[in-house]
Amino acid sequence: MRRLVLSLALLLAANCGDDAVRGDRAEIYLQRFFGECGAEYGGATDISRVEGECGIITTMINRFNADNPDVHVDSNVVAWPGYPQLSAQMAARDPPDLVTMHTGVIPDYAAEGLLEPIEPYLAEAGLQPSALTEASRSAVTIGTRLYGLPFDTHGGLFHINTRLFAQAGLMRDGEPILPTSPEEMLVQARQFTQRTGKPYIIQSLVGDNAYAARNLYTYLLAQGAVIFPTPRTVRLQTPEAERIVDFFRAVTASGTSTRNQDTPAAIGSFVSGEGGIYPTGTWMIGQFEAEANTPGRPLYRSYTVYPYPRLWGAPVSYVSGHAWVVPRRERTPAQRRAIARFFRFIADHNFDWARTGHLPAFQAVVDSPAFRALPHRANIAPIAATGRPLPGGVQRQNAIEGLIGEEVAAAFNGQKSSRQALADAERRVNELLAQTE
Amino acid sequence: MTARGRLGGFAFVAPFLLCYSFLLIYPLVSGIILSFQHVDLFGGGRFVGLANYARLFADATFLRSILTTFLLALMIVPLLTILSLALALALNRATRGAAIFRGVFFSSSVLSVTIVTLIWRFVLAPDAGLLGETAQAIGAEPIPFLSHPTWSLWALAITTIWWSIGLPMMLFLAGLQQIPGDVYEAAALDRAGRWTTLRRVTLPALKRTVVLVVMLQTAAQLQIFGQAQLLTGGGPGGSTRTMVLFIFETAFARWELGYATAAAEILFLLIVMLTLTQYVTTMRGSEAEGGR
Amino acid sequence: MAAEATGRARRSPLTWVAILLAAFVMLAPLVWTLLLSLKENEALIGNSGAALSPPYTIENYRSILQGNQVFRWLLNSLVVSGGTTIGVLVLCSLAGYGFARLEFPFRRTLFIFVLLGLAIPEQAVILPQHQLFAALHLHNSYPGLILPGLAGPFGVFFMTQYFRAIPRELDEAAMLDGASRLTLFRKVLLPLTLPAQATLGVFTFLGTWNSYWWPLISATRSDMYTLTVGLASAQMNYAQTSGLGFLMAQAVFASIPIFIVYILFQKQIVRAMAGTAVK
Repeated sequence: MRRLVLSLALLLAANCGDDAVRGDRAEIYLQRFFGECGAEYGGATDISRVEGECGIITTMINRFNADNPDVHVDSNVVAWPGYPQLSAQMAARDPPDLVTMHTGVIPDYAAEGLLEPIEPYLAEAGLQPSALTEASRSAVTIGTRLYGLPFDTHGGLFHINTRLFAQAGLMRDGEPILPTSPEEMLVQARQFTQRTGKPYIIQSLVGDNAYAARNLYTYLLAQGAVIFPTPRTVRLQTPEAERIVDFFRAVTASGTSTRNQDTPAAIGSFVSGEGGIYPTGTWMIGQFEAEANTPGRPLYRSYTVYPYPRLWGAPVSYVSGHAWVVPRRERTPAQRRAIARFFRFIADHNFDWARTGHLPAFQAVVDSPAFRALPHRANIAPIAATGRPLPGGVQRQNAIEGLIGEEVAAAFNGQKSSRQALADAERRVNELLAQTE
Repeated sequence: MTARGRLGGFAFVAPFLLCYSFLLIYPLVSGIILSFQHVDLFGGGRFVGLANYARLFADATFLRSILTTFLLALMIVPLLTILSLALALALNRATRGAAIFRGVFFSSSVLSVTIVTLIWRFVLAPDAGLLGETAQAIGAEPIPFLSHPTWSLWALAITTIWWSIGLPMMLFLAGLQQIPGDVYEAAALDRAGRWTTLRRVTLPALKRTVVLVVMLQTAAQLQIFGQAQLLTGGGPGGSTRTMVLFIFETAFARWELGYATAAAEILFLLIVMLTLTQYVTTMRGSEAEGGR
Repeated sequence: MAAEATGRARRSPLTWVAILLAAFVMLAPLVWTLLLSLKENEALIGNSGAALSPPYTIENYRSILQGNQVFRWLLNSLVVSGGTTIGVLVLCSLAGYGFARLEFPFRRTLFIFVLLGLAIPEQAVILPQHQLFAALHLHNSYPGLILPGLAGPFGVFFMTQYFRAIPRELDEAAMLDGASRLTLFRKVLLPLTLPAQATLGVFTFLGTWNSYWWPLISATRSDMYTLTVGLASAQMNYAQTSGLGFLMAQAVFASIPIFIVYILFQKQIVRAMAGTAVK
């Protein structure tokens, strides 16, 4: 009995060590989404040889650890988007040192005083805020301080299977013909499905609220609608919004769209050549491009990508961004230096991250010939100019996206009327915002 | 009894009582206090009386989650009870074969909720799932288990029944083995057929076990969380958002701690009331029969 | 035995069919998972039906064995479940004996106080518990994962009933021989409760092993993840499309220990349940 208690005590003691410094290494704890692929890229350090968000970020961190033996980055992968976990950690006063965060979510945590401004780290790393793109810098600025190191700017894109498009007679001069109005899209969709027997559009309507929200936001912004008249109210019961929801509802019901798919199923479908268009984001370019370069795969040499087509109003993209934030907590000077060093590393490898498909955060990388030479970047470069984020003063953007997406996806699927979905979304979001202070 | 003897008694129950009071009762009380405050996850709150409760009763999402939770319990408990009883009746013999089958039916209960939902996602998903692939192979339309509001409820129900059938089956088996053999001999002497024996002898003898199973399972299914979060994410369109999922989302995605605790207290009350009602109605019934 | 006395030595074919069908429904998902785990990731992209036909490979299991976080998760689950089980058995045996046999002031009141706890569901306390443990800096630690499990009143209720069922003559005999209360407890009564200990132990172990919500919000660092939380974190879009075989292999691998426990203790569960259930 005594031995048991003793061994338990030892086990417990061994677990509460001082993890700031092990040996003479500074330990920092990093938390990110982007997926778990340790099985394939566990030890890889050659960033230029890997593809996809997951591969590249895993390899980057491995490479950082290898290049900096006096620092160790312990990384934790969370299921997207990881905010419930982060909130639990912050409530427990034990947050990570570095976290990936969507720029729209930064105001929430910053308002509660949970994030450190990062200018000191930038200074230590020798980085100038002016080196960032306009979009990135404004996305992480609150008042006069910066609360995160921008990692990228990303937006929605139409990923296109050019082989199927050719079969459907929708290719011209080697580029896909995209609709310029909602009616045209329905016509092209029907033509596509008639000629290829496959869905024109692959929609991830299940478990992917971000998809539905993105569609709504994009075309609301395109029509110049003011989504948030004040930082604490949303307006969705408008003709512009109804137009959009009715349209996608019609597309889903027309027999030219997939139904009942969640994101893994949608990705699987597109990769297997089972549909013409998969509207998702910049983050899939890397993976799909890899498929397009592999002989024998259904997408081999059959892939291209374009921003969301202009269907109403102006050609506008809804963009957001990823950033690295530093939660507030006690840190040793060695840990702070380590964080600064990590920031420097991220900045130096912004081009590698841009190989995923996301737009770089640093102007120099955007302007570089290497970036422009990457496949399809010329197609999506306009997003840098036409991209619009949501207003920075609006809090709880992640929760709001979830609410709106949930309601609107139900309308797309025909489970609710457009009016009802928009009314419910507006009510729920206003209720949520009323609780913020 | 000596004073030391009396205190000695305390020494035996004290360690547990310490854990119990500090780790269960204290949080219970502090939770009730939190439910009267407008407070977010990161501290600092102010007293608002019954405002959270008033808001909950006007909250369509919360009210819907109550409905969803009860609906799920209604879909699961009767089916689960009947199926596990049937299995227990069928497998109540001492043969090797029966033992193996009993093992098979209990095996799912030892798995954790994450494994169970992972397994069933790839059975039910229309595209990549076993059922979907089978349907496509025979040219049928796969059932949209995870994307249709009603079908997703059934997805949760089926998954939960598959997962939970072992324990009630074991309870029924234990109950069956308590029935003395002479009761059956008497029935056989009276030339009672199989069904009559079942209805007049076995089932009444099992009444206590049935009540126990129904009460335990109702309380358990009212608390569904893992399956709803992992298999359907509360969707589509919030149709499978159970009360516990609502509480989790309100606390950790919306940061409204006071509001979430108030919802948790309401769930607590509902479970207690329901369990008490079940207990009282069935016990009163058995007293009327002269008790057993 | 009551079983044979039911006079149904021969089963109708209908019953056989029903049992076999039920067993098939029971096992099919498990077999499907196993098959998926034995396929290469690439073969399954967009086409999980490929699992129904060869070729098969143990590639995924090899990847796991080459050092993977599943081992860390496994260790954590073992420590937490084992620690909780031992803690519960110790605390509840002591308390059960105290309530069943010893006299002390407020005994009956305290017992009712404990019984009332049976009605408290997890949700009513989990959020305040999270706050409490945050204030005590106990998150992301073994004590943080073990302590909440020690507060449950079911074990005390269970052990008290069991102790009460032991005839008092044994007590009196031992006391006549000059044994102290403690010796009586340790040397005489405790050994008699072994079946109950086995049952309570196995149930506590299984319950803790499979708990999800508390580890989800308390063990938020990947090196403290238990198996349930770790597997949930691995189930992401990437894993479900490009790493399906590996994901399923992780699930199978994670189930092995618990199946071993189950097979080893199956007899205990059944025997003890028959003896102590339906009181």
